[in-house]
Amino acid sequence: MKAIVANTLIDGEVVYWNAGVWVTRFGQAQLFAEDEVAESALAKANQPTSVVDCYVIDVAEEEDGYAPTAYRERIKALGPQNHPQHGKQADGGHDIDLIKQAHGIARSAGRHALIKLKK
Amino acid sequence: MYRYDYIDRAFVEDRAAEFRGQVARRLAGEITEDQFKPLRLMNGLYLQLHAYMLRVSIPYGTLTPNQLRKLAWIARTYDKGYGHFTTRQNIQFHWIKLKDVPDILGHLADVEMHALQTSGNCIRNVTSDPRAGASADEIEDPRIWSEIIRQWAAIHPEFSFLPRKFKIAVTATAHDRTAARLHDIGLLMRKGRDGGVGFEVIVGGGMGRTPYVGPTIRDVLPAEHLLSYLEAVLRVYNRHGRRDNIYKARIKILVAQLGAEEFARQVEAEWAQIDHPAIDAPQAEVDRVRAAFAPPAFEAVTGRSDAFEAAKAASSSLARFARNNVHLHKQPGYAIVDISLKAPGETPGDATAEQMELVADLAERFSLGELRVTHEQNLVLPHVKLDDVAAVHAALAGAGLASANINLVSDIIACPGLDYCALANARAIPIAQDIALRFAAADQAENIGELKIKISGCINACGHHHVGHIGILGVDKKGEEFYQLSLGGSAAEDAEVGKILGPAIPADKVTDAVDHLVGVYLRERHAGERFIDTYRRVGLVPFKEAVYAEAH
Repeated sequence: MKAIVANTLIDGEVVYWNAGVWVTRFGQAQLFAEDEVAESALAKANQPTSVVDCYVIDVAEEEDGYAPTAYRERIKALGPQNHPQHGKQADGGHDIDLIKQAHGIARSAGRHALIKLKK
Repeated sequence: MYRYDYIDRAFVEDRAAEFRGQVARRLAGEITEDQFKPLRLMNGLYLQLHAYMLRVSIPYGTLTPNQLRKLAWIARTYDKGYGHFTTRQNIQFHWIKLKDVPDILGHLADVEMHALQTSGNCIRNVTSDPRAGASADEIEDPRIWSEIIRQWAAIHPEFSFLPRKFKIAVTATAHDRTAARLHDIGLLMRKGRDGGVGFEVIVGGGMGRTPYVGPTIRDVLPAEHLLSYLEAVLRVYNRHGRRDNIYKARIKILVAQLGAEEFARQVEAEWAQIDHPAIDAPQAEVDRVRAAFAPPAFEAVTGRSDAFEAAKAASSSLARFARNNVHLHKQPGYAIVDISLKAPGETPGDATAEQMELVADLAERFSLGELRVTHEQNLVLPHVKLDDVAAVHAALAGAGLASANINLVSDIIACPGLDYCALANARAIPIAQDIALRFAAADQAENIGELKIKISGCINACGHHHVGHIGILGVDKKGEEFYQLSLGGSAAEDAEVGKILGPAIPADKVTDAVDHLVGVYLRERHAGERFIDTYRRVGLVPFKEAVYAEAH
């Protein structure tokens, strides 16, 4: 699965694409089963006046839902691990718990996609 | 300390206003991100994982109480109530919004601060000895020449687009607290044969992907010719440094490829044709800056404080603080007090707004209005009367700032790592926290003695892992965090790049590995030996065997 992540231009907050709007939680992100669909959504999502650093990430199926595959993307979805009260993790919720518990199958694909995009 | 004159003030205010316009145009869609990014980087504004990060310059690590109060206010108003002091003696704010940055730069300008040249391929913040002006053995206050370099380097038209970033460190004592040999240029103050002040010039040190201890290219450069000589070094680099490959663009690669001798020859040839009087700081300007760093008004007190001795006898925690954090001052009856930002379990280098305000108050009341930031991510009250050390200690203890661990195993340098940084491969902070908690017992830490652990979350080496007695480098193995250990590095006058111990180990094995390394040291050490001394005597093998024993 894939999702699209970015930071908002005006304040840098991490946001996820969902069918034409940006949402603030990974749990609300649109998931794409096919790479091509994600790539064509990216072209629409990458709006230079509202977001920066916009790219497709890999998403893995966990026991009870989905979480970003790469460790880096999980931190981006949660917040810094040294300050549990900072970032999106502070809000708690099922999607946050799920990302916190995700482990074991991490791959750097999110990062690689980022590098590819910048070519 | 140095105060802005009308030129400095106008320039900084001008640049803040200019950036306000640039941000407005970016938000209005009039310029693209590709056009805007170099502009924001020139103002110290990065995009990290969770937000923008603003890196504020603290020239040669010197702050006034009012400046620190302003940083605290910015932390509380525009960030999440804290800031992170860096290995470049700067401070970073990690939760900044682009729309707030023009206002923040305006507030910084009000207290003679800015974020210029804290990013980009230019001459970065000049770093210096955090004990400048307080050390008994310094030749002259190194901040005089650091400030002269700062003025020369500020928007230097020829050196604003170098092949890569450029870092200069200045120190004036035999013991190097600036990692000078690991800088693009390290300047070690020397007394010339004629009694004049000069510099040993080291060029081409650095960490990152390709670490080098820089070679000396000139034994003694008369200080009055410093700027023209730096101009010559930068010109040779600007002309021949590689712009085709970011990994080979630093001056260290050029110096290594040409050889120190040939590089020095080219610098001398360039220097010979430079119009020295046009570049070198005029004597009147040197005198003006020197006057700004005149010693503060020390009181005439005796070298021994009965009050301090009695307080130490009555309090073992004060006695411990005195042993580790309080250092000899050039002025009888005064001391240099290190404030550790490394309480075990906390984030190395972080200070809350309240902590910053407390330290600012202490500096005003007890340190003649002076404050410093160290490249090891701690703070310093440089001029504290021995009579006042107990009061300072008590105030620090009330704010969680009295950790008596300077230079000990828990005084760990760590970069922000993957918790914040867009470049990182692995986390650095939790590794540091875990190690520090393992060695939190103060008696044990003192028994182990000086041990410098430095952790970087990627090969760019902001956490100085190459020069840690124990260096720890985070690497990404298929998306999982692994850590490569190295031993025997040093950032001091005996600078050395550490040697890799063996294969990288998983995050949850790092603290155990450090424990094993310390165990070997305690077993093998001779009387008076620090960890690094024992390592140099016995070599890598016993340490390697201890860490990888389970694997065999």
